Amino acid sequence: MTLPRWPIVGRRPELEAFARALGSGERTGLVIYGRAGVGKTRLADECASEAAASGHPTQRVAGSRTTALLPLGAVAALLPDGLGRLGPDGQVNAVALFERARQALHDRHRGRRLVTVADDMAMLDAASLALLGYLAAQQAIFLIATVRTGEPVPDLLTDLWRDGRLERVDLHDLSRANVDTLLHLALAGPIEAGAGREFWEVSRGNPLYVHELVLGALESGALVERSGVWHLEDLLPATSRLLDLVEQRIGGLPAEARSVVELLALCEPVDLGYLETTAPAGVLESLERAGLVTITMAGGQVRLAHPLHAKVVRAAMPKLRARAVLLAQAERLAAASDTTGPAELRIAVWRLDAGGRPDLAVLVRGAHLARYAHDFRMVRRLMEAVPSGDLDAVGALLLGEALYELGAFDAAERVLAQGQELPGSEHTALRLAVTRAKNAQWGLCQPDKALAINAAARAVVTSAPLVEELVADEASVLTFSGHPDRALAVLGSVTGGDQRARVVRAIAGAVALASAGQTAQALALARAGHADHVALGDEPAIAHPAMHVVNQAFALAEAGRLAEAGQLARAGAEVVAAQRVPIAQIWFAVNLGRVAILQGRVATARRFYAEAAGLAQSSRFAGSRCVALSGLALAYAMLGEPGAAAQALAERAAVPWFGFLGPEQHLADAWAASAARRPAEAAEAFRTAAAEAASTGHRVTESWLLHDLMRTSGEDTSARLLELAAACDSPLVSARARHAAAGRARDGAELTAAAGAFESLGAMLLAAEAAGGAAGAFGRAGDRRAATALQRRSTALAAACEGATTPALLHLTTVHAAAPLSGREREVVLLAATGLASRDIAERLYLSVRTVNNHLQHAYAKLGVTGRAGLAQALGSTP
Amino acid sequence: MTPEQITLVQSSFERIKDRPAMAARFYQELFQRNPALRPLFTTDLAEQQVKFAQKLTEIVQAMHRLDELLLHTRALGARHVGYGVRAVDYQTVGDALIAALESVLGEQFDAPAREAWILAYNIVAETMLEGAAAARPVGG
Repeated sequence: MTLPRWPIVGRRPELEAFARALGSGERTGLVIYGRAGVGKTRLADECASEAAASGHPTQRVAGSRTTALLPLGAVAALLPDGLGRLGPDGQVNAVALFERARQALHDRHRGRRLVTVADDMAMLDAASLALLGYLAAQQAIFLIATVRTGEPVPDLLTDLWRDGRLERVDLHDLSRANVDTLLHLALAGPIEAGAGREFWEVSRGNPLYVHELVLGALESGALVERSGVWHLEDLLPATSRLLDLVEQRIGGLPAEARSVVELLALCEPVDLGYLETTAPAGVLESLERAGLVTITMAGGQVRLAHPLHAKVVRAAMPKLRARAVLLAQAERLAAASDTTGPAELRIAVWRLDAGGRPDLAVLVRGAHLARYAHDFRMVRRLMEAVPSGDLDAVGALLLGEALYELGAFDAAERVLAQGQELPGSEHTALRLAVTRAKNAQWGLCQPDKALAINAAARAVVTSAPLVEELVADEASVLTFSGHPDRALAVLGSVTGGDQRARVVRAIAGAVALASAGQTAQALALARAGHADHVALGDEPAIAHPAMHVVNQAFALAEAGRLAEAGQLARAGAEVVAAQRVPIAQIWFAVNLGRVAILQGRVATARRFYAEAAGLAQSSRFAGSRCVALSGLALAYAMLGEPGAAAQALAERAAVPWFGFLGPEQHLADAWAASAARRPAEAAEAFRTAAAEAASTGHRVTESWLLHDLMRTSGEDTSARLLELAAACDSPLVSARARHAAAGRARDGAELTAAAGAFESLGAMLLAAEAAGGAAGAFGRAGDRRAATALQRRSTALAAACEGATTPALLHLTTVHAAAPLSGREREVVLLAATGLASRDIAERLYLSVRTVNNHLQHAYAKLGVTGRAGLAQALGSTP
Repeated sequence: MTPEQITLVQSSFERIKDRPAMAARFYQELFQRNPALRPLFTTDLAEQQVKFAQKLTEIVQAMHRLDELLLHTRALGARHVGYGVRAVDYQTVGDALIAALESVLGEQFDAPAREAWILAYNIVAETMLEGAAAARPVGG
């Protein structure tokens, strides 16, 4: 992976200051102050390259530890004849040497100043500094110098500064917005919210850190692009250049200060009181002054100032030394505190880091604490340190769940099955069964296996509340494998006496009820489930509490409350992105895709489904990937891109079929066939899926399928749609029935009312089609005025649908046409009818102006008009 | 930016029906913040408003394709060098834009929308400045 040139962001005022200084004649240099990694070198180099682009000669000199040992070593490039020859007195005549250098530069560049970057002035030897000062004062060079904050400023610079010959800029870390812009430009595309936040949190706006982290993450494969969006799949690594950088900062520290930094790097935060008793007086103060540590006054805790320092210092420490420090600290903390609470986890981690084995009980308790913090990586690490012979049933549950959450489904199945063989409480047996069933359902995509595990557990678990939870769990498997009717039947026997059972019932029941068209009940159940779940705390073997919010968004969409559904899903997505809960992130994205499809914002839908598919791939949940790819294919098909739709369906065929939202997933197959001009196949796919929906209790989906069948083929489905409307409490289902019935009756007024119903729900594409149908009905009835008005309204509504290409929309623009318009012609014509110029249409569709005009000419011919005015009339719209 | 933020910028902009009015509001906010900028606009302000609205529409629509966006913003930045616009003015322009959006979108311009617009504008401003730097001779 190669990136374009690393962009420079947030430094334009400084670059302008440089340009002014270079142009002024009064200034002879620019000095750039700032902390390590803030971008001084980069800015200096950018100044030089801008100068070079304007024809200035440029040169770069830089000091290092080795060149500093040799006088003028760093500035050899400015010396035409090296260090010169010995004079008659056996010495180098420095003044003569400097003057020869000036003369040579003057001759070589015909009097123009040589723009000279002197990076890291502190590394230059005194003679080099003197030469640079001489050349700058004599106008032979324009000096760009960088100086680190806190380092001594060479006399040469203070002299020039005092004389007003120097421009000075102070660089600071980048703002959050600038880090975002930097990532966007460097990666040439958008980045998933969680990843963007991670780069910000770890870098804290330090540009070098951003640079190193991005390159490191690309190299390690942690940062990957999927469907045009960048995702972070792993923790950010430390890189060797950062190591050098921080090593340089701490390399010069006295031994006692360095050991404080190392201790903090391994064990931070550390109590101020402890450090004060162990480190010599003054060490902490000097570290704080140097910006290396931060002391929190309130909590009395000490940390390293920058998160990366810890990473890098750890990487640089000899293993044995790190081990000794960690073990000593573990002993200290173990002796000092009672061995419960967070201290216990820290002790365990330190002992593990030291390569030792903490005692078993501590490991398990540590894993529980990590589990509580949702740190499944830590759980896995702790539990895998337990020899498998020592793993008890509770340990197997913890490890199995962590493996499931981390996407290691086969390993999870092994560990959980093994755990079921071990002695344990009835309670533990239940959790093992439920977790193993969840892994089978969501991880392995084998609902039958999940049901078998659930059934087997009934033989072991006998106490009433636990049995109730198993029943609710069976319903959950049924709901999420595409059987809401059976799920609801099973849930009938759950009394809701047990809180855990209530939470599981809410997860399974809310989706099943919404699918069945009981959206008010579904919403109430999801809200109550969320409240119960939060009160319950976060126990093993239950989904994340955010899933109740996902379900609320789903129920809102089924109820036709599209704007609310979108709002809730967006808010939820932001929260779970921050908490890094991939499964919830995926389902929020899927729901945002569904809402967008229903709203007719098909390009937006494509983006959300693509994001969901990408996230699902990273987190290895094949089932949710199947659903997301179905959505992606549907969006492509509705955009009139049958090739891309077929591609998404082919990708879907490569993962196991996931029955959740099964009939809805078949919308993709039907629409893909329709987009590929295979109407008979499309109609058959709609009918088959609708029959499946009817036999499994998906009433809202059935109405979607039958309505789409009517939209794409004209087939009359109004009778069944009216039945469904009566059986559901969803205005969206009612509007579909109204549309179909009005279409059957060719009733212009009723079609207009249906359009209004869709529009008020925010379903713009359906509104456009219904309004178009109304225009046709009025036209046939001879009411030209009403027909024209409705046609105009339909065109306006269609323009909000992001390039949706459905047969009914196609019909709208070809109703007066001698020959059918192509998809592109139709798209161009619709945009032209809204008053856009050819150039604007060309830019919007990424076509050439000539191509746009060609399409327009063909469309004019087919529509029998001669220009834009006639076009507007043919479409019943005004420009 | 996240894909959602790009979508949010585009969808909130879609909701603005009267874009020339929004542009008018923008110039009002801009000159209020820095009256010294007024003389930079020598053309008819009404015409300028229409151009601004058009350009903003193009930029918003290109937001999800960086290469398309750069074609717009770099050229636009290069043009602005000739008008004497400086880097500090971009901050003022950004503030005026956010204020104008807030005034036309009202409650719809909520915190997530504002953040998305700030990030989007930052990308636009940085890349315009990049275009400006490439077009501007440095030094004497």
